[in-house]
Amino acid sequence: MSVLELNGRVFDASTTGTLTLTSEGGATTTDVTQGLDKSWVNWNCTGTAAVRDSFNHSSLTDNGTGDFTLTVSSAMTNGDYCRSGMAGHAANSQQVVSQAEANTVATATQGRYVIAYANHNLEDSAYAGVVLHGDLA
Amino acid sequence: MIQTPEFQGTHLWNRLSWAKENLEMYRSEYCVVYEDSMDECAKVLHPDPNWMACALQGGILPPVSSYWELKKDEAKPDFVKHTRGPELLHNMKPIGPMTEEEAIEYLIMKDVPESVWREWDTGNQPKMVICKKDQLPPTREWRNAWKINPELKIAA
Repeated sequence: MSVLELNGRVFDASTTGTLTLTSEGGATTTDVTQGLDKSWVNWNCTGTAAVRDSFNHSSLTDNGTGDFTLTVSSAMTNGDYCRSGMAGHAANSQQVVSQAEANTVATATQGRYVIAYANHNLEDSAYAGVVLHGDLA
Repeated sequence: MIQTPEFQGTHLWNRLSWAKENLEMYRSEYCVVYEDSMDECAKVLHPDPNWMACALQGGILPPVSSYWELKKDEAKPDFVKHTRGPELLHNMKPIGPMTEEEAIEYLIMKDVPESVWREWDTGNQPKMVICKKDQLPPTREWRNAWKINPELKIAA
C-alpha cells in the first residue's frame, strides 16, 4: 500500500478527511481533495465495446452507435459534478464527448454520453475517455 | 490471494484506490443485453474489469441495497445532495467475495433500470439476457437495430 507522509502525518488508503497544502503563490492553503478527479474511464467503442482501464467505475452500457452510459461505484454527492471527455479515431477523425443533459439528466452515479463529430453524427471511436470532478457522497 | 484490509468505515473511494493498486483487472466474458424502451435499440452492459476484481475479491463493495437507498433519496423532490453516503456506502459492512455470476447479478440490480430487472421475464418476451460477448453481432454496422431475439426462450 502506498503511503504519503507530510509533516509527520501519514496518508494511506484508510485516511479520511481533507488534505490541504500551501497554494500557488503561498498566500493561502488549497484543498487537494477538491482537485482530485473522482472517476475516470478509457474505453474502446469499436466492435464489442470494452473498458481499457478505469477508476471508480462499475459498468459501461453501450446504448447504440456513439451512445454510452457510464456508472460509478463510489457515488458523487449529486448530479452537479463536472464531466469532461474526449474521443478520437484517426488524425482526420476526431470526435467530442458530450452529455445531453436535457434528454438524460446525470445522477450521482450515472451519466449518458454521446460521441459525435462536429456535424452531430454519432460515431464509435477507437478511443473515448471521460473524467469526473466534483464532490463524492 | 491478497487479504482485503478491514474496510468497514473507510470511504468507498479509498477502498477502490486500494483495489486499483493491489488487484488485477478481471475481464468478464459475459455482458447483459436489455431493452428499456420500445423506441430504442437493445442496450449492452459491460462490467468494468476493475469493478469485477473488487466484486470477486470481497470486502470492498457495499451491499447493492445501499445504491437503492441512494436512488430513493435522489428521487425525492426536495433532494439537494446525498447526506447518507457515510451510512450507506462507507460505514456499512462490505459484502464478501462473489462468484462471477453473483457479481453480474449485483451489477444488474445496481446499474440496470429497476423496471427492467424486476420484470425482465413477465412480458411476451424477455427484456434482459445475460450472454457471452461472442454471442453479440460481430460488427456494429447495424448497431441501432439490435433487438433481443423474440424467439428466445426463458430458461427455467
